[in-house]
Amino acid sequence: MPSEPTDAEPNWVHYEPEEATLVAKTTFNEIDTVFEFELEDRDELGHVPGQFVQVFVPGVGEAPFSVSSSPTKDGPFELCIRKVGSVTTAIHEMEVGDTLGIRGPFGETCDIETFKGNDMLFVAGGIGLAPLRSMINFILYHRDWFRDVTVVYGCKDPTEILFPEEIERWQERDDIRFDITVDEVPEGVEWDDHVGVITTLLPGLKIDAPNTYTIVCGPPVMFQYVQEELDAKEIPHDHIYLSLERRMHCGVGLCGHCQINDLYVCQDGPVFNYEVIKDRPEALS
Amino acid sequence: MTVRAVADSSVGRVDGMKTLAKSEFETLIDGLIDDDPRSVVGPQRRSGQYVFEELDSAADLALEYDLTALSPKKYLLPQYEQLLTYERTDGEYEMHAGTDTEGVIIVGVHPYDLAAIEHLDKVHIDTMGDEPYRKRREDSLLIGLTMQSVAPESFAASMGAATTDSGYDLLVTDIGDRFVVDIGSFEGNELLADLDTHSASHSEVQEVRRIEDDLRGRFERELQFPPEELPTLLAEHYDDMEFWESYAEQCLSCGSCNMVCPTCYCFQVETVRDLGGDSGYQQRSWDGCLLEEFASVAQGENFREEVAQRHRHRFMRKGLYVYERYGDVSCVGCGRCTRHCVADVADPTDVYNDLWEATNA
Amino acid sequence: MTERPRVAFFDFTGCEGDQLQVVNLEERLFDLVEVVEVVSFREAMSEHSDDYEIAFIEGSVVTAHDEERLAGIRENADVVVALGSCAAFGGINAIRNDQDFETVTERVYGDDADMIEANPEARPIESVVEVDATIPGCPIDREEFVQVVTGLIRGVEPTLPNHPVCVECKLEENECAFHRDEICLGPVTRGGCGADCVGEGTHCWGCRGMVDTPSEDAYTAVLEEHGLDAEEIVEQYQLYWGWQRPERATQEEAQ
Repeated sequence: MPSEPTDAEPNWVHYEPEEATLVAKTTFNEIDTVFEFELEDRDELGHVPGQFVQVFVPGVGEAPFSVSSSPTKDGPFELCIRKVGSVTTAIHEMEVGDTLGIRGPFGETCDIETFKGNDMLFVAGGIGLAPLRSMINFILYHRDWFRDVTVVYGCKDPTEILFPEEIERWQERDDIRFDITVDEVPEGVEWDDHVGVITTLLPGLKIDAPNTYTIVCGPPVMFQYVQEELDAKEIPHDHIYLSLERRMHCGVGLCGHCQINDLYVCQDGPVFNYEVIKDRPEALS
Repeated sequence: MTVRAVADSSVGRVDGMKTLAKSEFETLIDGLIDDDPRSVVGPQRRSGQYVFEELDSAADLALEYDLTALSPKKYLLPQYEQLLTYERTDGEYEMHAGTDTEGVIIVGVHPYDLAAIEHLDKVHIDTMGDEPYRKRREDSLLIGLTMQSVAPESFAASMGAATTDSGYDLLVTDIGDRFVVDIGSFEGNELLADLDTHSASHSEVQEVRRIEDDLRGRFERELQFPPEELPTLLAEHYDDMEFWESYAEQCLSCGSCNMVCPTCYCFQVETVRDLGGDSGYQQRSWDGCLLEEFASVAQGENFREEVAQRHRHRFMRKGLYVYERYGDVSCVGCGRCTRHCVADVADPTDVYNDLWEATNA
Repeated sequence: MTERPRVAFFDFTGCEGDQLQVVNLEERLFDLVEVVEVVSFREAMSEHSDDYEIAFIEGSVVTAHDEERLAGIRENADVVVALGSCAAFGGINAIRNDQDFETVTERVYGDDADMIEANPEARPIESVVEVDATIPGCPIDREEFVQVVTGLIRGVEPTLPNHPVCVECKLEENECAFHRDEICLGPVTRGGCGADCVGEGTHCWGCRGMVDTPSEDAYTAVLEEHGLDAEEIVEQYQLYWGWQRPERATQEEAQ
């Protein structure tokens, strides 16, 4: 008779969430809130900017979210979450002290250190500021590694602006240029800054194309128009990175839901070099 | 093209073949059914088709089968599997990953299904570390079987998977009045320890080779070109939407081809809540890229909205994407998708040969 | 939604088989009343209250009175759930929708036909009021009911499976009804039932309604391949989809 199985017991690291406690929440508007989570068993999440985590709400489900805090920030990590479905609604209803499950961090991103000595341009549309904020704060922490830092941020209207206080602080700094625009201003809302879609902010920028790295995040429809502007500026395609969103079920390269042609957003992304992604027709449409 | 690394051989391949009486083989299987704590499963006849099912007796084995409805993949990656349980006690949620990872003794696996499992091993054990799969796989035994019947839909010979010399603990070939058994692993060798066997004679080994050679010529369907050319061929025809649409027009988008495929492993995860309490589990179940919502995201965008895009994705994945990632063409030529496609548009030999003709006409 | 929401069951035109499925939860009924407070359920209790948060509605809408009553329920309830195929998409009642109404009533009621005050069409409840969740099926699947109830309590947005029955037939290793030379609606019917009918040796009748985007042309070709003519094909669709199919066609045209 065959020998008894002696193989190692399964290691559940991929599928077992770690308990995380909600320690603070800051609400920006009816649908956008940033949540700070503390892991039960370790001090740091250990992510790099651009990575994502899978958030599990018992009884509701699991969904991926990019981490919006920089790893240079000590203690709790932050997720900026828009209320659009069951999992996000359940998170929005959580109170400080409540717990949920976290898997990750997962994903490949860009190696920001290789951008040293160059200009940085961030283009964020709507909720796309959430993942980029992690990188922006990382770069501001290592500000002297880089030359000019520019952030261009577009929102539907002023009520949808994320991190307004932080944006104010960024705008007050003289070592970062932060341009903001809204598509429209609803009646009764005060707004004295730029109005127009995000691409209207790009032509006015002075860009040293060969020495600029650009990171873009926003709704899929935005990419194409932003790319046209970046092409007009002649920024080399391998200097452009995009953060993409898909509905990962596993986060570990198996379930297939996030596949873009031959690439997996959870393994090869979510941050992709444009040179890599531009020939993958399923990436942007 | 498919993986040919020895999958289950901590000790290394044991060379040499043994011969045993058919009754001795039945004794082996009945002994396992009686004494081994694991389930013993094998091909059986069930309402109009063959299926792998738990065996009550070796006599129930339908070793003459051509093709089972599902492949034995279902024992390593079950259709539905509990990945994680949760329970709320005193206001706090407890979460535990875990699932039933018991191994299985699978009897009568054809070479194309062994090749498919070797590919799944490469993905789930060697590369991605899917622990439920690894544990079940390592605790399982695969008793292979040289095909006795060839399904009319199959083209395994074209994919190099009509015969195999790896991926099994034992491989059994019926040479008429007795079986010749090739030993593929230490555990396989141990299975034979108490049986009345003798080393296969030169003529018996020759007979096995003759059966295998003969088998490769018995397939009704074939790829008109070496499978090595598939990745290039597919890449060239990615943008040929007219071609993909011509198939998609007849495609029901029902996902059957995905479900029956021995190398498909995509899944979905959903919450199953218990009634009456704060407990439940996360369940993963097979999913398919032909299904409408497979590539849709939270905000309603669907990145493969058209049937043609999904149809194309399936063939690209089998012949190009998986190849680029793992070095395998992930079609073993079993013919299940062809057999189960109600609309008759899933046959890979139709699609791939059409593409090849378009290029080489 | 409160911690233990108050729920009520209502029947319109239908066989009440879906409520029976709820009763058939048997010992799990005790679990159900742990998580919800049932204030009205004609099939299981005599009390009734109009103070409820979730209304489960079985049956289709066939009279002006039905419409009024339904609107009243919608006013009272925070959440309206269509229970079963008749409520969800017209169901088997809509079999008469493309027939001459007078002939239908005479055939059913004979000399009393003129006493019948009904609309010529049987319609789903969503044609009258807004519906928040749907549990299709003839009858409903008990487990699906449990998931919808617990989901509503947990604040989960209700979703419907959108894969055809074929998926579940494959997972269950049912022999395909087409392979047995039967006509089966499985390729265009919404799954989630475990393909029980095919598993029991018959074929799919379409009781859970059509998938969101049925490949109707491809499916028609399959039926023709199996020897059906146009009239016979429509007959297949007509058992459950008498409302749903024309409605879908109209919507598609509008797009």
